[in-house]
Amino acid sequence: MTQLTLTLLAPLLAALVIFIGRRMPEIFALIGVVLGLVGAVGQLFGVVDGQTATAVLPFLPDMPILLIATPLTAILSLVVATVATFVVLYAVGYMRHDSQRVRFFGTLLLFVTAMQGLVLSGDWITLLGAWELIGFASYLLIGFWHDRAGVAAAATRAFLYTRSADLGLYVGAFVLIGVAGTSEISVTLTAATGTPALIAGLLLLVAAMGKSAQVPLQDWLQRAMAGPTPVSALLHSATLVAAGAILLIRTAPMLPNGALIAIGIVGGITAVITGLIALAEKDLKRLLAASTSSQYGLMLVAIGAGVPIAALLHLIAHAAIKSSLFLGAGVFQHDRDGTDMDALAGAGRARPGIFAGFALSALALAGIPPLAGFFSKDAVIAAALASPAAAWLVPLTLAATVLTGAYMGRALHVLWAGDVIEKPKPVPFMAAGLGVLVALAAVLAVGFGPLEHLLDVELPTAGFLAPALGLTAALSGLALGWWVEPQRLMGPLYGWAQRGFVLFGGMETVMARPALAIAAACEHLERWLYNLVLGFGRINISLGWLARKIDINGIDGFIFGFVRKTIATGGRARKLQSGFIHREMALAVIGMAVIVAVLLAAPLYS
Amino acid sequence: MLPLLSITTFLPIAAGLLLMLRPGLSTKSVHTLSIGATGATFLLSLAIWAGGVVPGGFAQVEELAWIPAVNAAYRLGVDGLSLPLVLLTTLLFFLSAIYSARLKDRPSTFVVLMLMLETASLGTFMALDALLFYVFFEVSLVGMYFMIAGYGHEDRQRAALMFFLYTLLGSLPLLLAILGLYLGSGTFDMRVWIETQPLTGFAAMLALIAMLFTFAVKIPSFPVHTWLPAAHVQAPTVGSVILAGVMLKFGTYGLVRFALQMTPEAFAKAGVVVLAFGVLGAIYGAFAALAQTDLKKMVAYTSVNHMGYIVMGVAVAALTVDPKIRAVALDGATLQMISHGLVTGALFFLVGMLQDRAHSREMGDFGGLLGGVPWLGWAFILSAFASLGLPGLAHFPAEFQIFLATLQIQPWAIIAILAIVVTAGLYLRSIAQVFLGEPNKKWASMPDLDRGEMLVIVPLVLLIILIGIAPSTLIDMIHTTMASLSF
Repeated sequence: MTQLTLTLLAPLLAALVIFIGRRMPEIFALIGVVLGLVGAVGQLFGVVDGQTATAVLPFLPDMPILLIATPLTAILSLVVATVATFVVLYAVGYMRHDSQRVRFFGTLLLFVTAMQGLVLSGDWITLLGAWELIGFASYLLIGFWHDRAGVAAAATRAFLYTRSADLGLYVGAFVLIGVAGTSEISVTLTAATGTPALIAGLLLLVAAMGKSAQVPLQDWLQRAMAGPTPVSALLHSATLVAAGAILLIRTAPMLPNGALIAIGIVGGITAVITGLIALAEKDLKRLLAASTSSQYGLMLVAIGAGVPIAALLHLIAHAAIKSSLFLGAGVFQHDRDGTDMDALAGAGRARPGIFAGFALSALALAGIPPLAGFFSKDAVIAAALASPAAAWLVPLTLAATVLTGAYMGRALHVLWAGDVIEKPKPVPFMAAGLGVLVALAAVLAVGFGPLEHLLDVELPTAGFLAPALGLTAALSGLALGWWVEPQRLMGPLYGWAQRGFVLFGGMETVMARPALAIAAACEHLERWLYNLVLGFGRINISLGWLARKIDINGIDGFIFGFVRKTIATGGRARKLQSGFIHREMALAVIGMAVIVAVLLAAPLYS
Repeated sequence: MLPLLSITTFLPIAAGLLLMLRPGLSTKSVHTLSIGATGATFLLSLAIWAGGVVPGGFAQVEELAWIPAVNAAYRLGVDGLSLPLVLLTTLLFFLSAIYSARLKDRPSTFVVLMLMLETASLGTFMALDALLFYVFFEVSLVGMYFMIAGYGHEDRQRAALMFFLYTLLGSLPLLLAILGLYLGSGTFDMRVWIETQPLTGFAAMLALIAMLFTFAVKIPSFPVHTWLPAAHVQAPTVGSVILAGVMLKFGTYGLVRFALQMTPEAFAKAGVVVLAFGVLGAIYGAFAALAQTDLKKMVAYTSVNHMGYIVMGVAVAALTVDPKIRAVALDGATLQMISHGLVTGALFFLVGMLQDRAHSREMGDFGGLLGGVPWLGWAFILSAFASLGLPGLAHFPAEFQIFLATLQIQPWAIIAILAIVVTAGLYLRSIAQVFLGEPNKKWASMPDLDRGEMLVIVPLVLLIILIGIAPSTLIDMIHTTMASLSF
């Protein structure tokens, strides 16, 4: 309970202190994430001892906010806290000269809070709320340099893509809450079976595809690289995009076969397609972003194969690996004022220490033993082999593994092969953050065994086949990437891959243009309706004019004439006056008749 | 025991009368009086809140004989539906009084109109006698007509007339329905109507149709919404805030109080049609807003969208027989009224502040303002995200409940949820065009919010966040009433 509170409140309070105090944002940000990390570690010790901590806050009637530390959520929370701590440490150096540091660190900590809320959520409202809030924080961070060209568009795109997919989470959650009669996640997972479970599973897959940048919703992620590099490292490799996979891992016990197959296929296709995009990419950060989509695709393969633990291991390994790759890329970006591959040629040789860290992480991602990525990828391949849909999943997984080796090999080659053109200054904060994450990326695998024990699950064993296949694929990929130009390697696919495999003109044509066309049609109808009402009003006004004319020429004339006549005819007027009384009386009678009729009719309708 | 409800209702108009009796007052003392009166009214409404509501009926009822011959009486009272709206009303009028303190042109008349509107609005929400309700309901039209016609923008006369005729003609059917209910029961006491539901069968359906027509114009619901954008474009800022924040709620309040509570059986029969209009209005409003380039008009159309969700919630409540789902739908619909008042109020204030500075509301005229006017920009961004339904802000808990209940009862209607993506798109586009991007040199010297403007915006923003993260502050009170409805 205390640890749970600390994990969430430490970053939140730090964010508030930063926004309100506006001084020393780095110090408070570090305090916030370190305390959060302490809380997350304590939390994990708690669940190892067999305690499940929960916190309940009032929200809606019968639907409170529920936070819960189970073995799974505590592990994920620790992953988030760890990456957040070292990314903030790195950002202290990276953002040193930015005048908007208050806003940067404040928003970053709000993001960390929301992400912790997501992994620790015990009910659907909290999960949904945190899910959307990390999207919002991501919007603010991608749009951090909002006065630069193109940044607003990248931020807008990221939010809109993910929000469109979020509809899946909304409706999926409504289905599950409706079936179970409660918003508690653990209860809904056991209550949903049959068709509702399939519908909910597919809807949740849509949401996960948006957040984890799966095909065809992948291209917001590459453009999100408009934000500062620490943002890319934290959000777009280890946390925000992880939300999609985390959602599916957590709901895996409920997912029926149909949903599993869909998840596996989406993941497999994404792993290959975005792997090809990464290989054709000319910008290092965008390459890493495409690679992120690809690795999350592999996690979805594992979930689809029915082995979510393999996805979890790969998620943890990837978090450390990819954030260290981004942090390395950020150092090179500082040196060369850009992340274009041509500009980065030789940047690695100029900083052998940083390059070593980057290379170690790259090899880990490719899946070279004994680094962490080898074991997690091995688990994914073993899962695919054991799956009933192995005929689909195994080739896609192996192709993605080859591609991973190829694009990492190419990145290493570019960074190493060029000329050294600068004498770099030391970067202590950045190196410290990077160093720890690289170390984790290398040795994390020793924790995998205890982790499986804690979660009480076992990986399927596939003998020597899975590691043999994985290692062969990784090595051949690395060799191809290092020695062969991607143009030659990919042939006719190269150009298409560079354009991100756009089909039918992309989302702009498929979504945005129809939406704007409908909007224009509505506006058209709107004018028509407005003129209709106005026309109706005009008719009334003309009627009014007519009445006035009749008044002036007719009735007034009549009355004035009448008055003259009255005066002229003198005494005879009495007869006419009696005529008026008749009219008044007639009106009164009609009026009474209406009222009486209504009253008499009352029994008919009461 | 003080008649707290009556004092709250009539304090504003009393201050207005005082102003009319003392014509020579300086501009400053006129505004001081206006802020004082609306501020006191706000505090009084907090006292009513402290008094609370009771399940299954009205609390803090005040009653006086009026026209005993027809059983019409002066009756006021509050429940979980009206009390939140009373709080919203007194808050928005208080903030409007603060904002309009900068008005130099004929301030006295403006303030009198505003105070009259406040009394009419509070009376509409608290009246428990249908005749009294109707009087307050109609008086509010007069106040808003003169506010638009006297203090609006270029084309104000036409817009004011359109608003007046539209809503006046629109409210005549309600009068017929009220007469029908009277003839069926022999009293104008709304509590009796709610308890006994005097009309049944065809008569009830006729009364329902009449009421639906009136409230559809007021809400406004597609296709009788066209007066709304026209009125908003021409209305002064305070007029827009009151119109959208308070007066549109007359329609949704009436939809629950009259249509749902007094003719529930007929509403259950017509529920799918009403639901369809709600869905259509929500989607149509969102797309029509997407087509706008004028910021104020865009915000006006998002009102059509948000009010559509409320109509959906009420229709779902009418359709279901499960009291639990009904409570969820009505909790959501009622909270949505409050959220919309706060969020749209904030957005109209902000657009007004922008217009005061730039004399333009065209999105294309701006660009990159965020660096120069961060307070204005961030307040707008936050309000816009609230309006597009971001969790942690005011609209989310309300819309979540409405959609949740909708999917359980009429799954097809969940299609309206598409509108939350459209509103996201239109708000992000307006933020990008107005506040992000390379700064436009033309606006380099634009001043940020001054102290008076901060006093208006900051409370609204804080409340938007408060309701977003702790909706239970309001919803527990709403739920007390909604969970105890019996029909």
